Amino acid sequence: MIAIRFHGRGGQGAKTASRILGTAAFLEGFVAQDSPIYGAERRGAPVAAFTRIDKKPIRERGLVARPHLVMIGDASLVQDPAARVLDGIDERTVVFVNSPLTAEQFQAQTSLPGRVTTLDLTETALQQFGKRSAISALLGAVAGRLVGLQEESIREAIARELADLGLAVSAIARNQAVGVACYAAVPMVSVTAGPPQPFPPAALQVPTYESPTRGTARISAAGNSMLRETGGWRTFRPVLVPDKCNGCWLCFAYCPDGVISMTKEDRPVIDYAHCKGCQICVHECPTEALVAEREKEGGVAWKAK
Amino acid sequence: MTWQRETFKKIKQIPREEHVLPGTALCAGCGGLEALRLAAKVLGDDVIYVNAAGCFTMLAAYPFTPFKGSWLYTTMGSAPAGAQGVRDALDVLIAKGRLPERENLKVVVLGGDGSTYDMALSSTSGAITRNLDFYYFCYDNEAYGNTGAQLSSATPYGARTTTSPCSLQHPSGTMQEKKDIFEIWRAHKPPYIATVAPRYPLDLEEKFSRAAQFTGPKLFLALAACPTGWLYDPGETPEVAKLAVETGLWPLKEAVNGAVTHTYIPRRRPVEEYLKLQGRFRHLFEPTRQDEVIRHIQARVDSYWQGIS
Amino acid sequence: MEGEMMTGNLAAAWGARLAGAEYIPAFPITPQTEIVEALAKWCESGAMPARFVTLDSEHSMMTAAGAAAATGVRVFTATSSQGLLYAFEVLYSVSGWRAPLVLVNVSRALAAPITLESDHNDVLAARDCGFLQIHAETCQEVLDSILIAYRIAEDERVMLPVIVNLDGFYLSFTREPVALPDPELVAKFLPPFHPAHLGFKASEPHALGVAVLGGTPYSYFRHQMHLAALNALVVHQEAAAEFERLFGRRYDLVEGYRLDDAEDVLVMTNAFASKGKAAVDAARAEGRRVGLVRLRMIRPWPAEAIRHVLRGRRAVAVLDQNLSPGQGGILFQELAACLYHETLRPLALCSFIGGLGGKNLSEGEFRTIFEQTAEAGVQGKGIGPVLLYTEADHREMVQLQGIAGKVGTS
Repeated sequence: MIAIRFHGRGGQGAKTASRILGTAAFLEGFVAQDSPIYGAERRGAPVAAFTRIDKKPIRERGLVARPHLVMIGDASLVQDPAARVLDGIDERTVVFVNSPLTAEQFQAQTSLPGRVTTLDLTETALQQFGKRSAISALLGAVAGRLVGLQEESIREAIARELADLGLAVSAIARNQAVGVACYAAVPMVSVTAGPPQPFPPAALQVPTYESPTRGTARISAAGNSMLRETGGWRTFRPVLVPDKCNGCWLCFAYCPDGVISMTKEDRPVIDYAHCKGCQICVHECPTEALVAEREKEGGVAWKAK
Repeated sequence: MTWQRETFKKIKQIPREEHVLPGTALCAGCGGLEALRLAAKVLGDDVIYVNAAGCFTMLAAYPFTPFKGSWLYTTMGSAPAGAQGVRDALDVLIAKGRLPERENLKVVVLGGDGSTYDMALSSTSGAITRNLDFYYFCYDNEAYGNTGAQLSSATPYGARTTTSPCSLQHPSGTMQEKKDIFEIWRAHKPPYIATVAPRYPLDLEEKFSRAAQFTGPKLFLALAACPTGWLYDPGETPEVAKLAVETGLWPLKEAVNGAVTHTYIPRRRPVEEYLKLQGRFRHLFEPTRQDEVIRHIQARVDSYWQGIS
Repeated sequence: MEGEMMTGNLAAAWGARLAGAEYIPAFPITPQTEIVEALAKWCESGAMPARFVTLDSEHSMMTAAGAAAATGVRVFTATSSQGLLYAFEVLYSVSGWRAPLVLVNVSRALAAPITLESDHNDVLAARDCGFLQIHAETCQEVLDSILIAYRIAEDERVMLPVIVNLDGFYLSFTREPVALPDPELVAKFLPPFHPAHLGFKASEPHALGVAVLGGTPYSYFRHQMHLAALNALVVHQEAAAEFERLFGRRYDLVEGYRLDDAEDVLVMTNAFASKGKAAVDAARAEGRRVGLVRLRMIRPWPAEAIRHVLRGRRAVAVLDQNLSPGQGGILFQELAACLYHETLRPLALCSFIGGLGGKNLSEGEFRTIFEQTAEAGVQGKGIGPVLLYTEADHREMVQLQGIAGKVGTS
């Protein structure tokens, strides 16, 4: 069995990518299984999805704990502990990262274990679709290539899954074309299953009773959401062009997350650790003093605490 | 009668301090969060939010809370009753001298439109009837948003949701008209009701500030422009909210002891400008334009505004 | 006889009053209504310094009750049957907040078909919600159990809400003598309510009942409720001992009646246990060595106490006044599970279903239970579930069906 784990951010298409891969494997006669893991995901929050491919019935469910291939749709997830991208990765695991960096550059920056390969899917999507949108077809196609599925089955799987989502025929065709291009472009590192590794028995530590102050779903650290950084959600960051700012406060007034504060001189200061990159401030700035800059590399634009 | 803002005249009067802190799991560009953040600037921190199931449930997710005030998650259908219990208990404790008056809290219900228009309607009606001293903040994104945009009683005619798709039989998508919750509330005769929209921060702040003088139910209906459910780019939230108001689809108004005042009279741009921005109305324009549906929406707005100036 | 003549409902209201409940969210439902009527009157007259509020449904009522307890006041409320089920999801919320309040349930069978009379499918539906459950046999026990319930609920080792159950009609509207405990002694028995983890105030904000994402925190918090419920076994015994010292009445997790040399034992709950005891006396008079166990604490499940009274018996009959369609009697299942690992477990476990929808349990039915149970003990093989439904019941039902059917058809 080959087990693939997709990591993305809500709205990016990790779930659909896992389905494209599952459908493509199914079309080639394999036994396939795909599933997402649902929290109450929001656009931008870390999400994961799983695909398993085998020649015999799959006796596994849910989360892939030891992936043979990890598909990372957003490089910033590597340093987001909540995303748990690194779980179960060893030196044989193939890790694909959506990044403009080369595999060597990326590994040097992040000391990511495993056999890394990269391709800049976000840039491709921006160029081909004109705006940042779901990269499911691209991610699914790259995964198909890495596990050794045929281009034709990937093409068909993209069509089926995107049609299921209600995309227009023209949009599907565009996704197929771009997906196949990514299929061809990704630097190849082949995924091998290897013999299954035995799991040691779980060491149980059954909790004892604690006072309800600790033992209840209760938070007394008021306002501690600041500890959770959401800066990695961004594809674009708002950047101030100081000369153009007229100090009108509109960016501060309209920011849903309250990440813009105003200095005494009426200049906005953006909390990049938490800015989700919605671009409201860029849209609403009357003097174009806030401009959108593509995050060079989400993973290094900010640091998790 | 022209409505005058008395407290919030300039944008720079918006308090700098944040009371709903960053780091929440809500979508980028959430119009509901923007409205809540602005409301909290007037409400302050001596608040307990009593939450109904909905998108805002994700605001406080263990072990994180964005609030400097308190929070109690109840159920989808009973947040106003939760507010009743908290308010009554605080009153009992203060009356008995077990809680100093300075520890008192404002009780604020948070509910989405699914809760407000549908499931919690009985509970809300009861709370208003009992003249409960509380705030009700409805973030109305016109669908069951937390489950991925399904039809609610707040979904307007012509919008497409995942459970009111457009088809040959139902080309408009949603067939129903949006329930008029403002008038349902008003029929209960609470002291204060207002609609607000995030793109109009001074109007919003002024209304929360005005509401503070009333004891009893103070109800707010906030337009929660929703990039995820309405299918537009997150950066366009203020633009969408603005067009909702400027087309007349989302009237900004208040009712003080039942007397309605429109706090802003829009020039009323064609509804089409608003509809066109959002994916949930795209079927009205593509592949073929549904003039009848668009005209119907326009006619409803025109009829609403007849005689209002 | 000391005390006053009062119904089970009035005894429940007195329990709330003596316990010093400060907040009573209410909603009427037969056969509970008398409780909230009495409390409303007392709150209005000032006899009881509590705030009484009529809510718009049991769902709202239970939410207000839990929210008020979470804010730090002592809360009492009451419901029955459909009302309990209408509030059902909120029961899980309140226990999850670890908000210790007392809810009286007046047992009534569930619709459809709708009826007003008693059985235990309502309260037993709530057995997994995290509320503790005490089931009462007498009006006196209703009152006393409410006081004990507050003491258990508010203990730092427990901090869970409690349901005190009494049977509709057979207790709720039945008068018998009830001794009213001295309020000063009650104040000694019940210390003031100061939960460390609850109480909303400006200087100490906190978030309660927050969402958890992922199974690890959920498992932890749910398991904490389990441990808290188990702690209630010990806390109950402490409270019962103190209660006996102050008021002279003794309550245990399970009550044994004429068990000393009993070969066969009948297990029951609630008001009809009085009839069961009379049936034991009658059978004893005929030379049968039988006894009765009344389960008083249903949650936490007093497994060890049950094993203690049932080990070594020849046969045990469980009389369930409930029916889980497709399964049988609910208490029978739980009892069988806790006896499984008992080396000296009874040779036969028998399941009887009776008293559904308020149906009477006759002396003859008890005789049948004892005879069939003795025979099962001799055979070494349990029976059931057996519905207690007589030939006379059958004739009555056929007659009713004849009337209900279309004229001219059979």
